[in-house]
Amino acid sequence: MNTIDGSDRHVQTDSAPPPSLLAIVLDTNPHAWAHLSSSLSLSAALANILVFINAHLASGNANEVAVIASHSHKATFLYPTPTAPQPKARNGANGDVAMNGTDDSKGHHIAENPNKYRAFALVESAILKNFAKLLDETNESHLAATPTTLIGGAISLALTYISKSTMLHAPTAASAESMSLAALADSENAHVDRIPLTSRILIVSVSGDLANQYIPVMNSIFAAQRKKIPIDILKLAGDTVLLQQASDATGGVYMKPDRPEGLLQYLMMAFLPDATARASLVIPSAGGVDFRAACFCHRKVVDVGFVCSVCLSIFCSSNLPDNLCLTCGSYLSLRSALINPPALIPRKKKKKRKVGTDSATPGASTPAGSSTPMHP
Amino acid sequence: MSASSSIQALEYLQGLPLQTHRKLYEAPSTVLAVFRCMLPHLAKSIVMAMLYMPSALPAADLEAWFKPSARREREQALSILDRLHILTSKREDDRSLSYSLSQGFQRSLRQAIEGSGTHRTFGVPATKAERREEKLGIDFLDQHARTQWEGILFFMVSGAAGFAPGSVKMDVGPGTKQLLHKGDLVRTVHETPKITKEGFTFVLQETNAQVWNLLIVYLRMGHELGMSETEVLSFLFMLGSLELGQDYSTSTLSDTQLQMLDDLSAMGIVYRSSKDSRTFYPTRLATTLTSDSGALPGTDISTNEKTDSKAQNKGFIIVETNYRLYAYTNSLIQIAILSLFTKLQHRFPNLVSGKLTKESVHRAVQSGITSAQIISYLTTYAHPQMQKSNPPLPPTVMDQIRLWEYEGERVEVTTGYLMREFGSEVEYRDVQGYAEALGVLVWKNDAERCFFVSHVEQISAYLKKKKEGRGGR
Repeated sequence: MNTIDGSDRHVQTDSAPPPSLLAIVLDTNPHAWAHLSSSLSLSAALANILVFINAHLASGNANEVAVIASHSHKATFLYPTPTAPQPKARNGANGDVAMNGTDDSKGHHIAENPNKYRAFALVESAILKNFAKLLDETNESHLAATPTTLIGGAISLALTYISKSTMLHAPTAASAESMSLAALADSENAHVDRIPLTSRILIVSVSGDLANQYIPVMNSIFAAQRKKIPIDILKLAGDTVLLQQASDATGGVYMKPDRPEGLLQYLMMAFLPDATARASLVIPSAGGVDFRAACFCHRKVVDVGFVCSVCLSIFCSSNLPDNLCLTCGSYLSLRSALINPPALIPRKKKKKRKVGTDSATPGASTPAGSSTPMHP
Repeated sequence: MSASSSIQALEYLQGLPLQTHRKLYEAPSTVLAVFRCMLPHLAKSIVMAMLYMPSALPAADLEAWFKPSARREREQALSILDRLHILTSKREDDRSLSYSLSQGFQRSLRQAIEGSGTHRTFGVPATKAERREEKLGIDFLDQHARTQWEGILFFMVSGAAGFAPGSVKMDVGPGTKQLLHKGDLVRTVHETPKITKEGFTFVLQETNAQVWNLLIVYLRMGHELGMSETEVLSFLFMLGSLELGQDYSTSTLSDTQLQMLDDLSAMGIVYRSSKDSRTFYPTRLATTLTSDSGALPGTDISTNEKTDSKAQNKGFIIVETNYRLYAYTNSLIQIAILSLFTKLQHRFPNLVSGKLTKESVHRAVQSGITSAQIISYLTTYAHPQMQKSNPPLPPTVMDQIRLWEYEGERVEVTTGYLMREFGSEVEYRDVQGYAEALGVLVWKNDAERCFFVSHVEQISAYLKKKKEGRGGR
């Protein structure tokens, strides 16, 4: 019996963890990086991220990486290089990923370097090439147009890429034998068997003020939550309510380092462990999460807003044109709610008292607190 | 699938002394290979977290980083890092313990993932002048590797299977034969090679594990012949980081490594067009040394290990509840392996049939094959039709094979150390708990306060640390 136990344990500890796919969304917003250049320049950050990517690739033999730049006027893949027009049409959340002459990225023109592991060299040269291309394409009109970055599109790109890779990784699910096996096994086992790829998204963000993309980002967050993809946030500068919520909702890491120049150490320590390793590590997360939403009419973050009873859109004021919801067009009679404010106030007071006494995150404690006393 | 193969290499590596480790860690390609395929997953996280840390990491901080429930995983990761001399622990002035990466390892791993330095350890590609002829295709290299490797396997099983030596065209070089004898995988009895217990374990392994197994024998033998272990190992790890289908220059290799090239090309691990060629090609056997050759879809589905002939034949055995066995194969190796534990009766162009009998299984057990090996072999290669049921093999057959084995085997041998004469119950519980956390505990007896472990180094270090800690207070 002892030997059976012993061998079992041996196998268990040494069984290879599932390959992990890391999709990095790099915020390349020129305005924000210019602001940050005194402590950490974009090129230094990129160098650190390349080292981090190599470390990730080294951590598992089948590990994969995807890098997406969220620039001021478009979101585009830095790695893998988008090749044929067909995948572009499918991937392009923004429709403007089109680039010319990027085929044959893995070509032989990459100089063989005896000092570098080839797999690393391929990724590195592709990223640098695409990044240089992106910067070349950026002109002043792009910069003048917007001070922010297209984070929503970039996250969508990451999600679509992950979903495509997951499908590629699923073991020959079509073959008859595994199908019947899956049917025999209980549903939980079948689930585990068919998704051997663990994915996560890392957003290296420098821009603040992302509230104008509230809706696309929130939708991406919910998609990630549904697919069980953690979104890790490394916030080098600026502060947004939105990304904090993203990491909280999906169970990712949130970090806002005080000293951005130590980027590499933050990456290596907090963001390198994949889902397998995180099971036994304490991961840093945002302490108090700001759960405030942005209104749909002016993209402002609001404390108290008005919600359409049909489509759940949020508005900052009740003065809607013609009393019609801006999103779904339903007629909303806000007058009754305004006439009858006392119904709202006592409830709010109750909530506030709870928040005051409870030191835990306000959002998490309220729903549980209201229901438990009734049904112990 | 690489689990068993990397365990072997890992165990060998752990046995090396500190000096050898130091020298090994000079080469970034070696360090990267050790990191990629030898370390458990959590150990990788620890190493990477500490790689760019400016100061030593206090043990208390490391402990705080892990969840309390993951104590066992932490101890295992630390113990492997310690045994490989990657992590060094130091006692600070205030008696607190702190860890740091060993200097050489840290420097080389940094160079490896940054791609810096001028160490030239990731293989120097051949120049046009050195190549002289057309570049060879991957298909050709695969073919070469397969022929050579199957030749070795067939050589091993042919004796037991009753084929006369030389009756089939496949043959292996004298160097490889010597290697197989040295590793006690094969013994020559009456001029015919006879497979041993170890040899059978070897044959049933995955190709990747087989390669490692043979290379470790080669390492041991090389050591006796005066080849430097460090050079041999770093060359092997370098081979693992090369690109399939690329030819590399021999100009930067040392004499030992040139000698190795000859031996390795006999095994099909590398290919050289001629003995004095100035270039060599790594084959798939080499490039998958330090990787899971398993599924890597998206990158190279078409050139996967799956093209291996063994995998092509995957699923060809049918076992019936009446112990009859039908195998749809015409591969001599498969037939030879089957004949080790089956009484084969008929052979048709694409099918052999036979029966699992008490005698045949007993014969296999006596030559050192375990029932678990037989069952796992039959399960792995069960016909798709059989795999529809769960378990694929009929339970009666599996049980009977086990029972046949147990008839002959009553005693199990494990080498290790007995720990006894503990001062107090508390101390016993503590040390035994630590051993269990390390995963080295084999047997224990609470009443007698003694237990048996397979590895003692970590435990003695732990006891020493405890003693020191008590002395200070």
